[in-house]
Amino acid sequence: MNKDSKYKVVLIEPSEIIATGIAEIINRNPEFSIMQTLSNPTYYNANTETDIIIINPAVIDYNERFDIRSYFGDTNSALVALAHSNYEENVLRQYDDCIGIYDNTARIIQKLKSAMEQNAQNPKSDINELSTRERDILTAVAKGKTNKEIADEFNISIYTVISHRRNISQKLGINSIPGLTVYAIMNKLVDMSDFG
Amino acid sequence: MSNNETIYSKRMKVADLLASDSSLLSILQRLDIKLGFGEATIGELCMRYGISEELFIMICNIYSFHEYHPHISRLDKNDIKSITTYLRASHRYYTTVCFPAIHEGIHTLVKDLDNVSRKLIDKFYDDYDNEIINHFKYEEEVVFPYIESLMENNRACDTQYRIGQFEENHSNINEKLNDLKNIIAKYLDEKFSSPQRFELLNDIYGVENDLRKHSLIENKLLIPLVEKLEQDHE
Repeated sequence: MNKDSKYKVVLIEPSEIIATGIAEIINRNPEFSIMQTLSNPTYYNANTETDIIIINPAVIDYNERFDIRSYFGDTNSALVALAHSNYEENVLRQYDDCIGIYDNTARIIQKLKSAMEQNAQNPKSDINELSTRERDILTAVAKGKTNKEIADEFNISIYTVISHRRNISQKLGINSIPGLTVYAIMNKLVDMSDFG
Repeated sequence: MSNNETIYSKRMKVADLLASDSSLLSILQRLDIKLGFGEATIGELCMRYGISEELFIMICNIYSFHEYHPHISRLDKNDIKSITTYLRASHRYYTTVCFPAIHEGIHTLVKDLDNVSRKLIDKFYDDYDNEIINHFKYEEEVVFPYIESLMENNRACDTQYRIGQFEENHSNINEKLNDLKNIIAKYLDEKFSSPQRFELLNDIYGVENDLRKHSLIENKLLIPLVEKLEQDHE
């Protein structure tokens, strides 16, 4: 594979030790290439052609951590967190995946790939409110419909249903079906009488 | 791990251990260690209660340090028994201390709610409660006896059960608790805000965090040790 066809990665990590280690691991893989290693995100040039940006969330000012994509000029690149410590769910949710410093090479490469897939099929929005479509799908889930039934009803693929459900759960912080049902009833999306 | 952490050692005083991380208090409680330990060190306390100090320190480290990786080569077969004893004590702590407190909190909270919400939340909690009790029961009646027979027999058990299955089974147990937490914190109407609701939420956060550590003890200590035992036997 020649250099141009490799996926281009920019690494933003202030620790030289960690940055050097991650860069070494990624450069050893034939599919990826580190184009730039920055200690500080302000040096990032939004016009650089980049497939993946790996960022230590600690380098982003606290107030801007929740709006990471616009911080990078609404970039289309996949965003991967390089997290050494715990971050709030809301912070990490904005990234397409998250690398930990104990991950081995195989795991890191796998996460880079899944981040690009995730980014391609599911551009992130920063809005926490449910969209109209999401509310409709949540209502159907609360009524006990299966993914297949929902896909048929809305004339969309099962994958789209799954993707909507993942976004709904991320936004609400509720994952189980009974939990979603409680939410839907308390917010009057469905009526108790729907349950007979 | 942060740079300013203390790594616990057997010469450390128990009082200093608690001062560095008060959440370790609940470990003492579930091991039936009495308060009033004076100037005792971790080593002395473990000796008095017949607890493996190596294991005790590992458990404390797992509780306190998010990215701690235990060297399980420092444990041996006898420690497996101590781990299952600890996990049983831990289950007892959840079912006799933590969950009754949460149940009480839910009970107080729903009193003020409309009929529909009351039923919903009651049912949601009862389902969770059943689920987790069954989970504990499964561990105590299937998993731990399997491990104990593996230790006694010195050769692979006849059953097809392997500890790997346990890992598959025990992934999503925290999901509903997390949902409950968000419903109570975010989605129940503001007009039902009360000191009791704060306290309930605090209890849920506490037990959620503790259950996470409980799983880490299973994943980082118990499962690798038992897998090693299984390999030795095959």
